[in-house]
Amino acid sequence: MKKLKTMDENVLRLTILLFAFLLIAGVTKGDSFLKVSIFQTMGKQLSEYGLMAVGCGICMISGGIDLSCVYVANLCGIVAGLLMQKSGFPIWAAVIAAIVTGAACGAFNGFLISCLKIPAMLATLGSYQLFQGISVVISGGSSVGNIPKAYSAFGSVTVMGIPAAFLVFLAIIIAMSFFMGKTVFGTRIYLVGTNAKSAMFAGIKNKTILTGTYMLSGLISGCAGLLSLARINSAKADFGTSYTMQCILIAVLGGVNPNGGFGSIPGIAIAVLILQMLSSYLNTFPDISNYYRDSIWGIALIGVLIINFTLEKRKTARQAKMN
Amino acid sequence: MKNLMNKLIKQTEFWVFMIIIVLALLIQARSGAFFANNNIVDIMRSMICPALYAVCALLAFVSTGPDVSFPLIAALSSYLAIVITYGTGYDGPWFVVYLIGMFFGALMGALNGFIIVKYKFPSLIVTLGTSSLFSGILLGAFEAERMELPDTLQRFGSMNLLTVSNEKTGLGSALPMTFLILIVVYLIAYAVLNFTMVGRGVYAIGGDEISAERAGFDVKKIRFGIFVINGMIAAVAGLCYSVMSMKYLPTEFAGGEMVVIAAIVLGGARLTGGVGTLKGCLLGTLLLTMVTNSLILAGISVYWQKVFIGGIIIIGTAIPAIQYFLGGSRGKKVKGGEAA
Repeated sequence: MKKLKTMDENVLRLTILLFAFLLIAGVTKGDSFLKVSIFQTMGKQLSEYGLMAVGCGICMISGGIDLSCVYVANLCGIVAGLLMQKSGFPIWAAVIAAIVTGAACGAFNGFLISCLKIPAMLATLGSYQLFQGISVVISGGSSVGNIPKAYSAFGSVTVMGIPAAFLVFLAIIIAMSFFMGKTVFGTRIYLVGTNAKSAMFAGIKNKTILTGTYMLSGLISGCAGLLSLARINSAKADFGTSYTMQCILIAVLGGVNPNGGFGSIPGIAIAVLILQMLSSYLNTFPDISNYYRDSIWGIALIGVLIINFTLEKRKTARQAKMN
Repeated sequence: MKNLMNKLIKQTEFWVFMIIIVLALLIQARSGAFFANNNIVDIMRSMICPALYAVCALLAFVSTGPDVSFPLIAALSSYLAIVITYGTGYDGPWFVVYLIGMFFGALMGALNGFIIVKYKFPSLIVTLGTSSLFSGILLGAFEAERMELPDTLQRFGSMNLLTVSNEKTGLGSALPMTFLILIVVYLIAYAVLNFTMVGRGVYAIGGDEISAERAGFDVKKIRFGIFVINGMIAAVAGLCYSVMSMKYLPTEFAGGEMVVIAAIVLGGARLTGGVGTLKGCLLGTLLLTMVTNSLILAGISVYWQKVFIGGIIIIGTAIPAIQYFLGGSRGKKVKGGEAA
C-alpha cells in the first residue's frame, strides 16, 4: 500500500511538471509551438523511443538493465524490411516475423542473465554488439529501403488527427500498465527487483520471471523497430544509437529506481512526453544548437536523481520524527 | 585465501592468454602475416588508447562500478588543453599541454566523484549523465570542430620510438612515443595498486564497503580520488589519441567505452567489484584489439567484426558461470574468494 502511494506521488509530480512546462511553452512560444502539426510530429517521434524506454524500464524494475533495446529494434526493422522487399511475402507475416525476432533476442538476453548469471549490464552490452553485428551482416551494412507503400503508409496515417504510431504507443502503455500493476507476473517482477533472494525464498521462479521480463522488453523494442521502419521508410544497423542513453534517462525520470523494485509505466509515459516536448520546444529556437540537448538531458538525469534523493530523505526524516 | 584468489584470477588471465595465442596462430595460419613485424607494431600502436582507457575502467570497476564517461572527459579535456595552447601561443615542451589537459580531466572526474560519493547513485547512471553533459558542452557550447594540433604536439607526434618495415610486403609501421606514456601509466598504476595502502583500499572498498570502512579505509576519499585520477588518465588518453592521429577529431571519441569495458571484463574484472588486475586488463585489450585489427587478415569480412566482438564478450563473461557449472566446489571457492 505504501509503495503504491509513493508511486502515485511521483506520477502526480511529473504530471504537474508536464502542465507547468506546457504553460511556459505556450506563453513564450505560443504561436510556433502550440500547433497541431508539431504535436503530430512529436507523437510520431516519441512513440519509437518511448517504447524502448518502457522495455528498458521494466528491465530496470526487475533489477537489471537492457542496453540492447535500440539494436533489437534495428534488427527487427531490418528483418521486417528485408522480408517485405520479397514480392509475394505478406506484410502481416513480416510484422509477425519481426516481433518474434524481438522476443527471441529478448529471450536470449534473459537466458544470459538468469541462467548464466551474467550481470544484466554486461550481458546486454555483449548482446547489443552481437545484434548490431547480425544486423550489419544481414543488411550488408547499408540501409534497407524499398518498403512497400502499403506498409509505409502506416507511418503517415492519422486517426482523428492522432498519428497511428502514437495510438500503438498508447495501446502498449495501457496494456503494460495493466500487466505490471494488476497481474501476478507483473507483481513478481517488482518483487524480484526489490530483493531477488527473498523472492526466491518466497517461491518465485526468478529464472522464469527474468527471462519473461527481457523477452517482453525485446518484444516491445521490436514494435518500436517496426514503427521507425514505417516512419523513416528504411532500417539501418546503426540507427538511433543515442537512444540508449535517452531510454535510461526517461526511465529514471519516470521514477524507476536504477537499483530495481520501483517505478511505474504511467510515470515512464509522462516522462517521455516531457522529454519530447522539451526537445521540440528547444527546436523552435533556431540559434540553440541541437547538441545542447545532450547537456540538458544529462543535467536533467542527475538533477532528477538528486531531487528524488532529497525528497525521499526528507520523507524518511519526517516519518522518523512521527514515530 | 589470498593465495587462492590470486590463483583463480590467474586462471582467468591464463584463459584469455590462451585465446590470444590460439587466435594469433589461426590468423597466422590463414594469412601468414600476423607475426610480421609491421603487424605486431600496428597492434601495439592501436592498443595505446584503449589500454589507457582500460585503466580508468578498471579502477572504477574494482572500486565502485562501471564508468562510461571517460571518452567524453578525454574529448573535452584534450580540446580545452589544445585551445589553451593555441590561445597562449605556448611552444615549450609537450608535457605542459598534457598537464593542462590533466587539470581539466581532474575537474570533470571530480564532478563524477562528488555526485557518486555524496549521493551514492549507481555510477553507470551518473557517468551516463555527465558524459551527456560533457558532450553538450563540447559540441554545443564550444562548437568544437576538427583542428590541427599546436606545433609542440605535432613535434611530439612525429617522434617515433621505433620504425619497422616488412621486407616481404614493403609495408612499414611506426611505434609512436605515446607508447612510453602507456608504459609509465601502467607502471605507476601497478605500483600503487599492489604496494601501497591506498591501492589495497581500492580493492577493499570494492569488495565490501562496510568492512573496508571498519578496517580504517576512508571510503569516501578513496572513491573520490579514483574518479579524479580517472579523469586525469582519460585526459592523457585523449591527448595521446589526438597526437597519434595528428589532428583533433571531436566526434571520434564517443562510443569507445563499451568495448573498453568489455576488454576489462574479459580480463577478469568483476562487475560486483573488488576483483580485477592490470595484467588482465592489458590482455583483454590486446584480445579485442587483435579482433578489430586482424580479423581482416584472416579473411573474415569486416561485416562480421561486431558479431565476433559481441560473441567474445558474451563467452568471456559467461566463463565464471561455466566454471561454476563444471565444478560445484570450485565455484563456491570463487565466491568465497570474492568476498575475502
